[in-house]
Amino acid sequence: MSEEKNKNDVLTLADELRWEIGEDFHDSLAESIYSDASKIAAVSVIYDDKKPKFDFDRTIDRIVTSRWLGFPIMFLILSVVFWITIEGSNIPSQFLASILVDTVHPALKSFADSINTPWWLSGILIDGAYLAVAWVIAVMLPPMMIFFPLFSLLEDFGYLPRVAFNMDNLYRRVGAHGKQALTMSMGFGCNAAGVVASRIIDSPRERLIAIITNNFSLCNGRWPTQILIATIFIGSTAPAHLAGIVSAGAVVGIALLGIFFSLVVSWFLSRTVLKGEASTFSLELPPYRPPRILRTLYTSIIDRTIFVLWRAVVFAFPAGIVIWLVANIHFGDTTIAELFINWANPLGFLIGLNGVILLAYIIAIPANEIVIPTILMLTVLVVGISEVGGGNGVMFELDSIEATSAILHAGGWTMLTGVSLMLFSLLHNPCSTTIYTIYKETGSIKWTLVSTFLPIIMGIAVCFTVAQIWKIFI
Amino acid sequence: MELILIVIVIILTGVIVFPKIKNILTDKNKSTSNDRIRIEDALKHLYDCEDKNINCSLQSIAGSLSISFDQSTKVVERLESLGLVTNGNHLHLTNEGRSYALRVIRVHRLWERYLADETSIPENEWHLNAELQEHNLTPDDAKALAAQLGNPVYDPHGDPIPTIDGQLPKKEWRLLTSLKSGEIARIIHIEDEPNTIYAQLVAEGLFAGMHVKMIESTSDRIRFEANGEEVIIAPLFAGNISIAAISKFEKVPEVYKRLIELKPGEEAEVLGLSKSCRGVQRRRLMDLGVVPGSKISNEFVSTWGDPIAYKICGATIGLRKKQANQIFIKPTTKETVNV
Repeated sequence: MSEEKNKNDVLTLADELRWEIGEDFHDSLAESIYSDASKIAAVSVIYDDKKPKFDFDRTIDRIVTSRWLGFPIMFLILSVVFWITIEGSNIPSQFLASILVDTVHPALKSFADSINTPWWLSGILIDGAYLAVAWVIAVMLPPMMIFFPLFSLLEDFGYLPRVAFNMDNLYRRVGAHGKQALTMSMGFGCNAAGVVASRIIDSPRERLIAIITNNFSLCNGRWPTQILIATIFIGSTAPAHLAGIVSAGAVVGIALLGIFFSLVVSWFLSRTVLKGEASTFSLELPPYRPPRILRTLYTSIIDRTIFVLWRAVVFAFPAGIVIWLVANIHFGDTTIAELFINWANPLGFLIGLNGVILLAYIIAIPANEIVIPTILMLTVLVVGISEVGGGNGVMFELDSIEATSAILHAGGWTMLTGVSLMLFSLLHNPCSTTIYTIYKETGSIKWTLVSTFLPIIMGIAVCFTVAQIWKIFI
Repeated sequence: MELILIVIVIILTGVIVFPKIKNILTDKNKSTSNDRIRIEDALKHLYDCEDKNINCSLQSIAGSLSISFDQSTKVVERLESLGLVTNGNHLHLTNEGRSYALRVIRVHRLWERYLADETSIPENEWHLNAELQEHNLTPDDAKALAAQLGNPVYDPHGDPIPTIDGQLPKKEWRLLTSLKSGEIARIIHIEDEPNTIYAQLVAEGLFAGMHVKMIESTSDRIRFEANGEEVIIAPLFAGNISIAAISKFEKVPEVYKRLIELKPGEEAEVLGLSKSCRGVQRRRLMDLGVVPGSKISNEFVSTWGDPIAYKICGATIGLRKKQANQIFIKPTTKETVNV
């Protein structure tokens, strides 16, 4: 009995004391831990009191964050990285394509014929699934194997945190984190990798913003599309000696437009839907150190390249089958592809595109790399050109830009179609690899849907506006 | 082709009409829950009167809830029939009524604590947001929320949060206006209603937990020192600030500077973190070693001037001006070392 009473007394006392301790006791706890730690350190750690005459880290820091040199150095380093990636991946990409697409594919076909495989089975598996996978590997692998290691080396050396540090002012104004400059740059290589890289941002709101806006970085699957279309439809309008510069300028313009959109959308998100998410800021600036080259190579190839490539291959396989099927299943005299294209044409024209492009963007969702091959295949199918390509449902690309241009013009393309396609290629849903990665990273269907549909809605709105203005003035 | 058109038309009408159907449905729910909201708001008002020792009337309820006198009469009738209020000469809460009011207040203050610690909702929106949430959260939700927040005892304005069985501490506070010149006290509460006054007080940089020293208190203005700076406000505003005497164990902080005033190359000792730095951000800074006694130095500035790199506990950390403004420091003067 008295024990019971005792217990109640203690509990009542505890309840009263709760109010007196107040709300600061968590802080006091942290403080006491630190003061204990520093007391221990004071007696057991000996500091080398001599200040070095030359502080290597601070000297570099003062240069790379200086008012006049900070940004020129940053632009120079990043341009060199992109230039090495684009130049360096051409040869291995062509080599892989010549093996996987030009050699192995016909070999597989003739092997299938020799053992009397039914035409539809070899179509689905070899022309559909195999070709899509081969294409994705050939186009995706080389740039990623160059870009990711280079980027990781810069990170390992300690330069990238300084870029985030310098760029933070801009990102702070739009409600984002300076590290978003890094995830955005990573997005220029691959959006899925950019989304994974957003893990470096530890503040929940800023991390979501970085993930949702990563798609506005023109990824390496979209650069070739931009360059091809700009050469055919924009470069050709300029005098021959300026054509190269004009089309390159158009592509850079689209990439800058993407950066602009990513900032505007960040601003919009941080002030509306993401307003309430928790937000913190701190940016570690680790000391510089010589990069561990082998280790960096290993992790960037295994963790980033192979990881992303595997996801892309998994999605490309079924998509290849779908691409082949829509071009080969007939209702009456027409294929599903033609039915859809005829139905979607009016909608496509409204936003400056056409039914072929819309269908290509739907069925080539696993990777932006196979959009152009799909468009070419579908155009040839619809227009009825029989001398190029490998038949219904077989994606192809042509070596000569003139021949590609001829096919597209035969498909009724104008300069407006070209410009609209460049805009739509920038502003459309992320590829399915990226969508899946966003889901894995956020664990939320809501944010996955926002990241998927926000760019499409923007793309349709922008293309519609451009097309209508174009039709009024031109 | 026609078939496709018909399908599109049906989908479009569905999209246009559906939100309206939803509205009609929710409106019906609204009218029943509106009753409850009024009852709970009236109880809160009655509790507030009891707390401040003033008499409540049907008029004051009508004023506080912005409803007509007739509606206010109806609400009180309803409260009586539920046995929450007795209506003798004055309106009085019954024990059930009081504990109901405390439950609503508990949810309100818990929610404000949640908004302050776990979200980035700006300070001037906490109160209105909590006014809505206090009617929505079930007791189980409130219990889970309290557990998630580590059973906090005070809300971010310094008000005690009633315990689950309605306990509150004895209060020992007075108004800032009653402080005499030269006296030092600690702000324990800044009233968050009306919102316009609260927003101005926050804009002055005042917060619960801050120490103030009265300089001059007259009928037209109150002049006091807070954080080493002089603040002048009207007595009407000062009436919304409650203070408590400082206990004998309490350290009255020295006049401090803010980290943002530290120039490149200078070193300082951390005195503490502003109360306005909360939740995750506060924990983050403390984890990095921003606690009283640590040494901190300004190392270099980014290209655009913000953020600034500081050295804390041997690590270089970039902090934005906003955070540097929330860290209190005492510059270590190199001159005294030389002498």
